[in-house]
Amino acid sequence: MIAAARRDLEEILGSGAVLSDPLALRLYGRDASMLEGSCELVAIPSNREQVVACVRIARRRGLAVVPRGAGTGLAGGSTPLPGSLVIVTTRLQRILEIRPEDRLAWVEPGVLNLDLKRRLAPLGLTFAPDPASEASSTIGGNVATNAGGPHCLAYGVTANHIFAVELVLADGTVQSFGGEGPEAGGYDLRGVIIGSEGTVGVITAVCVRLTALPEAVQVLMLGFATVDDAAGVVSEVIAAGLTPAAIELMDRAIVRVVEDFAHAGYPVDAEAVVLIELDGLQGGVDRQRQAVEQIARSHGATVIQAASDPAHRARLWKGRKSAHGAITRIAPDFLQYDVVVPRTRLVEALAAVRVVARDEGLIIAHIVHAGDGNLHPLIMYDRRSPGALEHVLAAGERIVRACLEMGGSISGEHGIGLEKRDFMPLMFSAADLDLNDDVRAAFDPVRTMNPGKILSDVGRSHGPAAGHAAGAAPDEAGSWRR
Amino acid sequence: METLTPGSAAELVDLLRAASADGRRLLPVGGRTHLDRGNPTVVDAEVSVGRLSRVLSYDPAELVATVEAGMTCGELDAILAEHDQEWPVDADPAATIGGVVASGASSARRLRVGPVRDWILGIELATGEGRLIRGGAHTIKNVSGYDLPRLMVGSLGTLGVLTSLDLRLRPRPLARRTVIASGTVRQAAAVVAAVPLACGVLATPDSIEVRLEGWPEDVEVESRAVARLLGGTFVLDDVAFPSRQPWLDVAVTVEAAVVPSALVELTRLVSAPWGVLAGVGILWAGIASAGRPLDELRAAVSAFGGVAPVICGPGGLGQGGPRRGSGAWAIQERIKAAFDPVGIMAPGRFWDGS
Repeated sequence: MIAAARRDLEEILGSGAVLSDPLALRLYGRDASMLEGSCELVAIPSNREQVVACVRIARRRGLAVVPRGAGTGLAGGSTPLPGSLVIVTTRLQRILEIRPEDRLAWVEPGVLNLDLKRRLAPLGLTFAPDPASEASSTIGGNVATNAGGPHCLAYGVTANHIFAVELVLADGTVQSFGGEGPEAGGYDLRGVIIGSEGTVGVITAVCVRLTALPEAVQVLMLGFATVDDAAGVVSEVIAAGLTPAAIELMDRAIVRVVEDFAHAGYPVDAEAVVLIELDGLQGGVDRQRQAVEQIARSHGATVIQAASDPAHRARLWKGRKSAHGAITRIAPDFLQYDVVVPRTRLVEALAAVRVVARDEGLIIAHIVHAGDGNLHPLIMYDRRSPGALEHVLAAGERIVRACLEMGGSISGEHGIGLEKRDFMPLMFSAADLDLNDDVRAAFDPVRTMNPGKILSDVGRSHGPAAGHAAGAAPDEAGSWRR
Repeated sequence: METLTPGSAAELVDLLRAASADGRRLLPVGGRTHLDRGNPTVVDAEVSVGRLSRVLSYDPAELVATVEAGMTCGELDAILAEHDQEWPVDADPAATIGGVVASGASSARRLRVGPVRDWILGIELATGEGRLIRGGAHTIKNVSGYDLPRLMVGSLGTLGVLTSLDLRLRPRPLARRTVIASGTVRQAAAVVAAVPLACGVLATPDSIEVRLEGWPEDVEVESRAVARLLGGTFVLDDVAFPSRQPWLDVAVTVEAAVVPSALVELTRLVSAPWGVLAGVGILWAGIASAGRPLDELRAAVSAFGGVAPVICGPGGLGQGGPRRGSGAWAIQERIKAAFDPVGIMAPGRFWDGS
């Protein structure tokens, strides 16, 4: 059956665009998460018609479809489970149309986030979502995960910047959702599609909303003797009615490792560093800068420094955005977690994580989208040491539970995928989850699209998932990389 | 007609279960300010959320409020104003929060603040079947399960009855000013491109109204920018935006949504009173009756790929949404069936008459 599927795919795509050798299957058997799965075949189509053909072949041959962009997802959304065909969308990489007068652009899903921004900048425009992976993640992946980023604080998440999405459904038909205008008729199904992690179809085109670049930008770097002081300033800035574009917090462990890399001039002896970006018109930026500096002074900031020029500003951000990569210098393995608390409870949440770290004997460093209450605890470990992974997973679950007790959420921007799937019942009732499953089934009644992600398939009424014919167990969950 | 007034979500759930069992058709109502949106529906009773009107939680430092669906926009606005905050949707003060969300009505300031769907974080809903479900969260950021809050926007009461909503708030701008000048629709588009602070640029047959909000020094700078672009401006501080809406004083008011670049041509096809939101793609037009003039306007809007529902008066929604029989339409039908399997919720009111 898999051999037959491979022949079908090769006939349409050519043999170079269908991978089935053991190395390729291993490579595409995971994404940037800590989870490992496996797949039967990998297809790399170049256009919409080829995507349609891939989906139809998968259906005919009883394979599940796992859509994948650049594979930078951190929750296992594109980690395939056995019995899957991985459809990689990175070769659909044309920017189809940019229409400044309508503040929109049509792009194929494989366009890299930063490539689109570079094309837009000379027009004075941008695509606002800025995940840390923007240099390597695709627009299709950003839509599938409803990606965030530091500037979500002022500009909102990906969902706030999408006019329309074209999707290949599980039955191989192509449908467009939303429209180019401000409103469209019918139910707003874009909301279901954005953040659906590949479970409702394969994205083949996206109409994005464009945002004007701000006239003035200023980044302030604040250093603190305690993490709590830093978090307190963040809450105070929000409560004071200021509207920064981004507020990011890094603790000492992160600051030290990224300073070696970015040479941004971070104070390496501070316990926490906060970056606050202000944008807009010059007058408002200056006023807000004074207000932030005053709040910082009265809350014991030990360093208050404004970026001296655009190059300095870029270095400050480079440090923040490279934290994920730089951390490998101090820890052989780490799990980057993603949880949210109401933003006034940041101090409490950080304290809760400290307790967990102590109890589990782990080092946990922090990068925080502090203005949003979105924590990214980096749980460091060495997978070779026996039992380490178990402590990491226990810590993760305890952090999730603590955040939920504070009225938070199990994910702010990485998504559920496989990593958090089994935590969904901690946040939602059985009725909530059933309705979510009904909504998924409205798009994919036969469960071809990325089964087992977001929601567990066990006990669901909507028939068995595709992939079973290839021998997949009913509720595979992948395995943690050891 | 009988109006049912449940006093709690639990009572509402019981009522909906019983109605689903009996096939009793229901129309959810709030402040009755947006009922003209939607196609005609015939129901056996109305369900009012008027008794569900409490604030469930509001911490100003959080910029999030959780309110019951029957709270009015006027009440909410007064509570938020005490803390210099706002839920930037600008509906009729008598409208309820649930009603505004279900009708999908957005602010005239949406050029900068965005549509109503960007200001809802979480919902609690009693589905037509009588399942009490939650979607979204109480936090600013959240990706957990499908985005059910957005699915409610513009659903016109056809999926269930909203019981409470988590709302994202924002600080109320310190300075709010409307600059009025004369000019064309094309000039209004130029203002959008050149004046980043503008949160609404409304062109009418007589004038252009530019709404500026933000820090006082920025508003001053931008007022001068508008004056340079348009000439002959005068300034009104602290007035409502739009200052006048004569298209609402006519028998039928259409709210067309098209790409912004279509507005110039579209306004040539309509007669006064009308107003357009430049850079957004909204056209409000007042027409004398729901007959031929409405059909002609809809045909023109449709040629630009837009939709033209009536928001005030008779005429319903017109064409829009997925084509009957298409794959997207089938998805819509299955979603409706998941929430309201018996079909008791506002039958006929939705886009394709379902």
